[in-house]
Amino acid sequence: MTAPNSAERRVCWDARDLLWKCLDANHDSAEACQKQQSHFEDKCPAQWVRYFSKRRDFLKYKERIQTEGFTPAEGPRQNS
Amino acid sequence: MLAMRGMGVRVLLHLQRTSGTSVGVASLRTHPSQLCQIRSQSQGSDPLNATVKLRTRLLVSLLFGGGLLGAWAYVHWEKQQRQWRQRTEQLRKVALGQGTFSLVDHTGRRRTKQDFLGSWVLLYFGFTHCPDICPDELDKLSAAVAVLDQDASLPPVQPLFITVDPERDGVPALARYVKDFHPRLIGLTGTPEEVKHAGRDYRVYASPGPKDQDGDYIVDHSILIYLLSPDGLFLDYYNRMKSSEQIADSVRNHMRSYQRL
Repeated sequence: MTAPNSAERRVCWDARDLLWKCLDANHDSAEACQKQQSHFEDKCPAQWVRYFSKRRDFLKYKERIQTEGFTPAEGPRQNS
Repeated sequence: MLAMRGMGVRVLLHLQRTSGTSVGVASLRTHPSQLCQIRSQSQGSDPLNATVKLRTRLLVSLLFGGGLLGAWAYVHWEKQQRQWRQRTEQLRKVALGQGTFSLVDHTGRRRTKQDFLGSWVLLYFGFTHCPDICPDELDKLSAAVAVLDQDASLPPVQPLFITVDPERDGVPALARYVKDFHPRLIGLTGTPEEVKHAGRDYRVYASPGPKDQDGDYIVDHSILIYLLSPDGLFLDYYNRMKSSEQIADSVRNHMRSYQRL
């Protein structure tokens, strides 16, 4: 299979952006954004769908850590 | 000056005590009035004196302050130059890109590292099936080269794209890919061995991911744009956070200092 050219890439990215905008507006509810999801999966190669989904998860996680903070994992106990 | 006059009075008094001559006494008698005269003279010209003194003081302060600022600016600039030189030295010691590579470009012509000696090169490793990072970085690279192209005093920069996915990125795939970017961009590919050899030279990390049912996969790879000097030496690198203007500025800086050498 050939790689997407510039126009196809842009179409895929636009579909992804629409999906993400919808998810942002609907608190990441997958049911509300079924249409965008199927449009996105149609316009982008499967690998890219998986890649962008993981990317969104990572960006959400990063945002959560930056706003809510995190508890550092307990390291090995030091004998003081 | 008053102090000197005071000293003068003290000297005269001393003379009067020690010498006790008529000359000394006479001089003491005249001196206080002379002193009064001198003092009144100085009091009369005090406003003028004071203004002159204020102007002089202001001028001196301004000059001094200006001098301090100038000295600080020079030291700051010098420190920046030193840091930049140190960084270039450290990168030179790392000595990436010492080897040679032999690859095929997107027109099917064989190219080696020798072919690019004499040109400044901006090099990026990626693959054509890349979802977003490689197109972004290549757009950025193309924009930086375009900015540098506008400066007629600088030599032209050669943008290069070397694939980390030789299995899928043959000559036709590369040809299709590079035409979306800068017109001078050359794509390079080869056998897996040749590509791995080129990547190793620049310590490029590349790891193909698992294949899905379409046989598609994503190659995880390090994301850097490398700057090579006309003698093929690795001079600098730019990561995802550098904008095209920052890259163009840095390349321009390197070119200017290189020419001076």
